[in-house]
Amino acid sequence: MPAGNGKVSDAQQLGRAAQSGTRFAADDPDVVVIVGSGAGGGTLAHELCRQGIRTVVLEAGPHLTADDYHQLEWPAFNQMAWLDPRTTSGSWRVARDFPNLPAWTVKAVGGSTTHWAGACPRFKEHELRAQETYGGGIDGASLLDWPIGLDELEPYYEKAERKIGVTHRHGRPPLPANNNYKVFANGAERVGYRGYATGPYGTNAEPYDGRPASVQDGFNFQGDKSAAKWSTLVAELPKAAATGKLDLRADAHAVQITHDARGRVDGVLYVDADGALRRQRAKAVCVAGNSIESARLLLLSSSPSHPDGLANSSGQVGRNYMRHLTASVYARFPEPVRMWRGETMAGVITDESGHDPDRGFAGGFYMETLSLGPSFLAAFLDPGAWGPEFASAMDRYERTAGMWLVGEDMPQATNRVTLNTDVSDQHGLPVPNVHFDDHPNDVAMREYAWGRGRALFEAVGADDCTLTPPYPTTHNLGTCRMSSRPEDGVVDGFGRTHDVPNLFVSDGSVFTTGAAANPTLTIVALAIRQAEHIGEQVRSGAL
Amino acid sequence: MATVTPASAGIDLRTLTHMVRAMFPHERFPDGPYERTAAAIVEAAGDDVRLHGQLEQGLRELDAAGGARFAELAPDAALAILRGMSGTAFFEAVRSKAILTLYDDREVWSLLGYEGPSFEHGGYLHRGFDDLDWLPEPRVEEVG
Repeated sequence: MPAGNGKVSDAQQLGRAAQSGTRFAADDPDVVVIVGSGAGGGTLAHELCRQGIRTVVLEAGPHLTADDYHQLEWPAFNQMAWLDPRTTSGSWRVARDFPNLPAWTVKAVGGSTTHWAGACPRFKEHELRAQETYGGGIDGASLLDWPIGLDELEPYYEKAERKIGVTHRHGRPPLPANNNYKVFANGAERVGYRGYATGPYGTNAEPYDGRPASVQDGFNFQGDKSAAKWSTLVAELPKAAATGKLDLRADAHAVQITHDARGRVDGVLYVDADGALRRQRAKAVCVAGNSIESARLLLLSSSPSHPDGLANSSGQVGRNYMRHLTASVYARFPEPVRMWRGETMAGVITDESGHDPDRGFAGGFYMETLSLGPSFLAAFLDPGAWGPEFASAMDRYERTAGMWLVGEDMPQATNRVTLNTDVSDQHGLPVPNVHFDDHPNDVAMREYAWGRGRALFEAVGADDCTLTPPYPTTHNLGTCRMSSRPEDGVVDGFGRTHDVPNLFVSDGSVFTTGAAANPTLTIVALAIRQAEHIGEQVRSGAL
Repeated sequence: MATVTPASAGIDLRTLTHMVRAMFPHERFPDGPYERTAAAIVEAAGDDVRLHGQLEQGLRELDAAGGARFAELAPDAALAILRGMSGTAFFEAVRSKAILTLYDDREVWSLLGYEGPSFEHGGYLHRGFDDLDWLPEPRVEEVG
């Protein structure tokens, strides 16, 4: 893989190169169809194409590239976010504050890798054995051990880190300290933390793999105009396209996965940009639409022989939806911080990421730097807030530092994506309903994490802090979980559905448990591993 | 038969402007951002009859709630009236639209010290991304 100071390409050229114009016939018997082009689908596409496998990617959203991106929060949100109608239920605050926006993900080529921040921690060994480690004493949690261990994942973590060009790993240098990090790291030092650094992070500190170094332009959540940040749009899909094996179809919204009399999937029906219904024949189908849409598509693909949805003999499709702990702390200081300058999340503290039940909860969490502009901060700081106290907090925007708290939340069978047949989307399809109740363990961890975040900022002189609740979910996990036994989950250790031998799930839906780490690196590692498995199956004639 | 009503007809823009300022009181903000925010709410009501109805009726009540027109009330008195109305559909309609508009206003950004998009200026790499000088330079590498 090229490294160092080689030739650097323009972000616009890279993004456009995702589309090569290759088209495979609708009845081509040799095509693998991937639904979704994000961390899972986009990586899988590249890794299949490299093996010579003809691949059609159906992406529901448009093909946006660098020149299209707005560097303004609301216009960018309205351009990129998945805003198709959805409904919510349950006791989580998102259902009250944002009832039709349970999640903040991207509907565009590249999926949510075009708005991910870049934090790249790996899972820990014990997090793949949560049932064993956390024990049976957690009422209401549907904990299950992953069917794979860290030893099986480690080679793929290494490949994923090299692919992304993660800072602090494999010779990649760290990013420098920005202003928000200076507050964060000094606070960490003063409360006795040692595990602070500017990464590992998925944005280049120096040119790497044909992409430039960061110019500290911020706006990580609004697309990337420079391509310093890894995304499938500028890294995986252009490379897949260059093989001649990728047929990328944007504005292609999957409606139903079809199957033959033996129960093997044989195609995908989708609506194209003109609203026409089309069919693509497939020798295998890989679903990578992010947890809400992946579960929804399997449920939408019900048939007389699969009345509860495809690959759902376990009844587990849609269940065990997780969204990570998520909370934030914003602190105001006597002196300027200017947190918006530079890479949004190039700051990680690992000290609280282990499992230490003495803290009053199972699992751990990371602390990471975070910044929002005034437009978003006003909406998310304390949803529903107004009045002099709120205005005073906003008035000190320039002197504000921010951090995000991301940790493991407990899977629960009742936290669930279902079809809401009372509400239809623009294509007439039932919308997904997302039901979520916090588990007491989630509440205990959040309270503790808020306290630690506040203590950290107070240690460097914060005047006051706001403890910000979770906003619409960016880390959507579970809903098609991996399990050893078919009755416990939806897919096996390679992401192949237990019920259908040529149907795979290829995104964060397969997470058996959520772990504390930001999920993208693990989704990419699993996609590389799955692509090897599919390649072997294709070469052996099993697929 | 209904007559066609222009978007702003029946809506007291002055009272609405004062309502937005009382909701989000920043001493250093001039009238401009509050006036633009109120105008944006009225504009939204042009496409939203429910919002128009809530605004027209709600602002009349707001004006009648104190001993004087709402715009003439002292800040504390105005705040007390708003607290009494918080949670109502009228109040939420104004609050939710105001918060999205006021803090998205370029003059407000400037007043808050926010510099906004940077890519066209070469990012913040040479424009102060690391200029914080009231704390020591921290380590950026991992330990152990």
